[in-house]
Amino acid sequence: MDMARVWPIVLQYGVGAVLCAVGVWCGLRSGFLDLKSADGKRLLAVIIGGFVAMLALVCLFTFWLPFVPRGTAP
Amino acid sequence: MNQPATQVLGQPIDYIVILGYFVAIVLFGLYFSRYTRNTKDFFFGGQRFAWWLIAFSGIATTVGSYSFVKYSDVGFKYGLSSTQSYLNDWFWMPILLLVWLPIIYYQRVISVPEYFERRFGRPSRVAATCIVMTYLVAYIGVNLFTLGQVLESLLGWPVMAGAAGTAVLVTIYVVAGGQTSVIMTDLAQGIILLVVGLGVLFAGVYHFGGFGDFWALLPESHKYAFSDLTSPPKFSALGIYMQDGVINTGAFVLMNQGMIMRFLSLKSVKEAQKMAVAWILILAPIAAIATGGGGWIGRALVANGELETSSKEAFIRTAHFLCAPGIFGFVLAALTAALMSTADTLINAVSAIFVNDVWKPFFRPDAKDKDLLFVARITTIFAAAVGLAFVVVYIRNYDSIYQAHAMVTASIPAPMVVAVLMGILWKRFTPTACFVTLVGGSVAMGLSFIPGLDDLLIGPLSFGMGPDSYKFMRALYGLIVCGGLGIVTSLVTKPKTAAQLAGLVNGTQLDAMRQYKGGEVNRRPGKKARLRIAVDPDLQDEDPMTPSAVVPQSALDTMAAGPGDLLYACDPRWWFGGLRSVHVKAGDPGEEGICRVSPDALADAHFTDGQEVTVEKIM
Repeated sequence: MDMARVWPIVLQYGVGAVLCAVGVWCGLRSGFLDLKSADGKRLLAVIIGGFVAMLALVCLFTFWLPFVPRGTAP
Repeated sequence: MNQPATQVLGQPIDYIVILGYFVAIVLFGLYFSRYTRNTKDFFFGGQRFAWWLIAFSGIATTVGSYSFVKYSDVGFKYGLSSTQSYLNDWFWMPILLLVWLPIIYYQRVISVPEYFERRFGRPSRVAATCIVMTYLVAYIGVNLFTLGQVLESLLGWPVMAGAAGTAVLVTIYVVAGGQTSVIMTDLAQGIILLVVGLGVLFAGVYHFGGFGDFWALLPESHKYAFSDLTSPPKFSALGIYMQDGVINTGAFVLMNQGMIMRFLSLKSVKEAQKMAVAWILILAPIAAIATGGGGWIGRALVANGELETSSKEAFIRTAHFLCAPGIFGFVLAALTAALMSTADTLINAVSAIFVNDVWKPFFRPDAKDKDLLFVARITTIFAAAVGLAFVVVYIRNYDSIYQAHAMVTASIPAPMVVAVLMGILWKRFTPTACFVTLVGGSVAMGLSFIPGLDDLLIGPLSFGMGPDSYKFMRALYGLIVCGGLGIVTSLVTKPKTAAQLAGLVNGTQLDAMRQYKGGEVNRRPGKKARLRIAVDPDLQDEDPMTPSAVVPQSALDTMAAGPGDLLYACDPRWWFGGLRSVHVKAGDPGEEGICRVSPDALADAHFTDGQEVTVEKIM
């Protein structure tokens, strides 16, 4: 595995996780994000789900698809 | 640079298509001018739109005319990593949706500089106005410059002629319809540019006989989501992330007045959450594929020995290779759509800032709304003209769109992004520190452009990538310098009191909501009610910003609302996207099945007397 292609994921999603955590923490601390309400729970799930979905996408194009041999690509 | 192509690619039918497109889009924009009655309509479309309408128009704004050329260029050279710029926006969403947007929406902030005055005082507002205006007109210039270059390569027109022609067309409908025309035309243009971009990709894949064959023609280095961390210097993952993921996206969500106005055009902050999901998780990845796909297909065509092209012409040459005459005209239309949908937003934004932050506070503090609307329309014309002046600068100084774009996005916004971020997240951030961050940061960014000094200032932050990376790593330099200035100055100066910061910083979003509503916030979950509109000439609107409405007790119960709560009445036909709607304040309960509103509210909503509407509680 070429680590030069992996470090960007670590960098982007590491800094990104901090940014997301800061936003969520601010929302919770201010009371604007209310986890007792269904809307609040849904929003938090969407934020986490979005992060994971984007991470899964870039992992797909880093660890699997570049190595698919000719004739077997989806 | 700027040498006309030796071969003109388009055929007469292509030019008929593009001419027809120009006429159609201008007429479409002019049609919606009927929805603009005041400055709130001109700048925010009446603050009434649904999430899907703003998501589509937002993606059209995000995809500039430079996007197809630029991302196909890098897609041709580096492959799928051209999508990096579109896939790093999500990380900013929590701060946008949970902190920044609630503050500006509920504080009824019209422009980003206005926030600076409320949070920090007049000097910071003046500094912010100068920076944001420079950023916006420079950005308008980048878009006009790009389209001028494309039209030059296709038709042999001088860059300036193509840029000026499209600027005139955009200005016509923005002057007439303001934000509503911008949103509606951007909706149409967003669909066109995505369909055309994806169409070129799918046509290419079909041409090769399927995805597997296309994939096999790409070199392995082209199949990764990211380029290497520190190479090549002109497209390293680190450089792109700092310039685009951190500063440019930060600027888009925190200081780009055009995008801020788009968020403020939504009917509610909750609607912004849906919009962000649709925009960033669905439409942005599609846009990344649509704009870079031409380059990937071009690379595969070259590898297959079917096409000769440079990376800069990859999109145009590939589209021309794949498309029949006439269809190619739609490709040209998509390029112009990308330009117009970005330029119209920015021109409208410049107008908003001039009226709100220059004209009103410094020249006509007591101006009536009608006069301000007139000034807004005149300013729109000047904004386009100044954007054109920047085209002259780019023609003389930059031989690549990517360089011009990176120069604008990595250098101008850093002080603003840092100041807004610290302003909303850190109560200790002082007015003096903000001013020092904006002015000192801008001077520091300017110094980094001086030959020799750039090695000294940015060199140590370039991670060994050298001068080729400075255009991107300047963003990291700006972040460190501006952040340092802000923190150090804050520690030695006096902050504002907690009472002065209510509704303006994190931790006080609920205060902002209370100020917006003028009372306690009702967040109980409720459902929509269906009622019939009835005009009541005797109904008095106590608050001109939010007219009153009388709805039955049963509807209030359905909505979990009470008298004094903010409601939103809307035409039930979803495809209007909130175009026919109005925010109202619930009065005492009235008769069953009827929603009584004043004649002014009826006109504002574009309802007809007796029509059915859906009513929901906002807060």
